[in-house]
This record gives sequence, C-alpha cells and structure tokens, in this order.
Amino acid sequence: MEKTLTVINELEKAGFVSRYARGGAMGATFYVEPVVTFDLDVFVVLPTGPGALLSLAPIYEKLRSRGYQEEGACIIIEGIPVQFLPAYNPLLEEALAEARETTYAEVPTRVLSVEHLLAIALQTGRPKDHERIQLFLKEAELDRPYLAALLQRHGLEELWKKVKR
Amino acid sequence: MTTELERIIAAKEKRRRDLAALSFPEKVAIVVQLQKMVAPILRGRGREVRVWQIPAADERPVAAVASR
Repeated sequence: MEKTLTVINELEKAGFVSRYARGGAMGATFYVEPVVTFDLDVFVVLPTGPGALLSLAPIYEKLRSRGYQEEGACIIIEGIPVQFLPAYNPLLEEALAEARETTYAEVPTRVLSVEHLLAIALQTGRPKDHERIQLFLKEAELDRPYLAALLQRHGLEELWKKVKR
Repeated sequence: MTTELERIIAAKEKRRRDLAALSFPEKVAIVVQLQKMVAPILRGRGREVRVWQIPAADERPVAAVASR
C-alpha cells in the first residue's frame, strides 16, 4: 500500500493530477470497520489550463510507461488495483478540496472526509451506498453541523431525511 | 428482548466499534484477509477478482489485532 500511494503521490507531484484523495470502500474503512473491496478508488482533480485535456488518458499512459498493467476499469499499481475517478460534480470537487491530510506508514496521503463520503454515498444511492451510510451513522464520528451544511449546499437534504426515517 | 440477546447484541456492537478504532494499516491487513476469504466464492460465480499483493510487512496478524 505504501508503494501504491507513493506512485500516486508522484503522479500528483509531476502534475498528472492536481489533487487526489482516497474514497470509496477504502475511504470508508478509514473511519469504520474494515469492509471488503478489491479496488482502491482514487478521486482526482485533473489539471486545467491552456492545452490541458480533462482526461484520465495521460495518467494511464504514464503508468503504462512505468510497466503497470490495466485490468478492467483499474490499473494495477504495486499489486493493488486502482481506479481513478475524476471529480465530475461540485460535491466531489468540494470533497477533494477539503480532503483530510493523513499518512500511511509515513507516506503522506489524503482521504475524503467522512461527511463527504456520506454525502457522496447519499448522492450515488446504490444499495451498498445505503449500507455504508448506516455504518457511518453507527461507527463514525460525524461533525453534524458540518454535515448538515454540506447536505444543504448540495441539495441532498430531502434524500437525507428519507434515509434517516 | 432477553437479557442474553441484549448481551450478544452489545458485544457485537462493541466488536464493531473496536474494529473501527483500529489503525488504518491494521484495517488494510484485515481487508486483505477478507479478500482471501471472499475471492474463491466470487470466482466460483464467474467474477474475476484480484487479492492485493502487498508486502508481508503490511500484513499483521489479523486475529491478534481484531481480538484486542
């Protein structure tokens, strides 16, 4: 895992991504009991500016040039299938901007805040997202005022009321 | 609800809280153990999955960390 995160940090340092943070099941696992998953979801802000293409292709090209192989929607980086997901809406953009700085065995990295992970699960709305929300409610320490404000900002209050019923 | 059932539910909740409180590297080790357990079942259903190949140093004795 350290090596995988080091490679992703190098991508950020080299400008292939402007910013990244772990999300998905491994993001959730940071805050709650471990949940089984087979890939590492990495949300990214892609570089903007003159001539910049909002595409994951340069990331994949760079990784392929280093010998990492694609497998389905993932690319295997140091033994871990990684799925890069661009921030495609304002909630994800905010989640990345406010991601929590942390370390994994001394390697610096980021994870989305638990409140943003909950909001993303709410917005995505698959059965497994609802299960994850229940885990957050039972096991995670949520900043309730922060959560309420972000749900309001992103128009998720009605969905939230339904889930809490 | 019987007292015995309440005790079992409380113990389960405590175990979940204890697991949630583990360090992230300890949780990653548990995820890999879970992958090893689940992968044969998923492969039997025709789903291709890859158990993470991470160095042994990453994997701590899960039974030990989980039973704290």
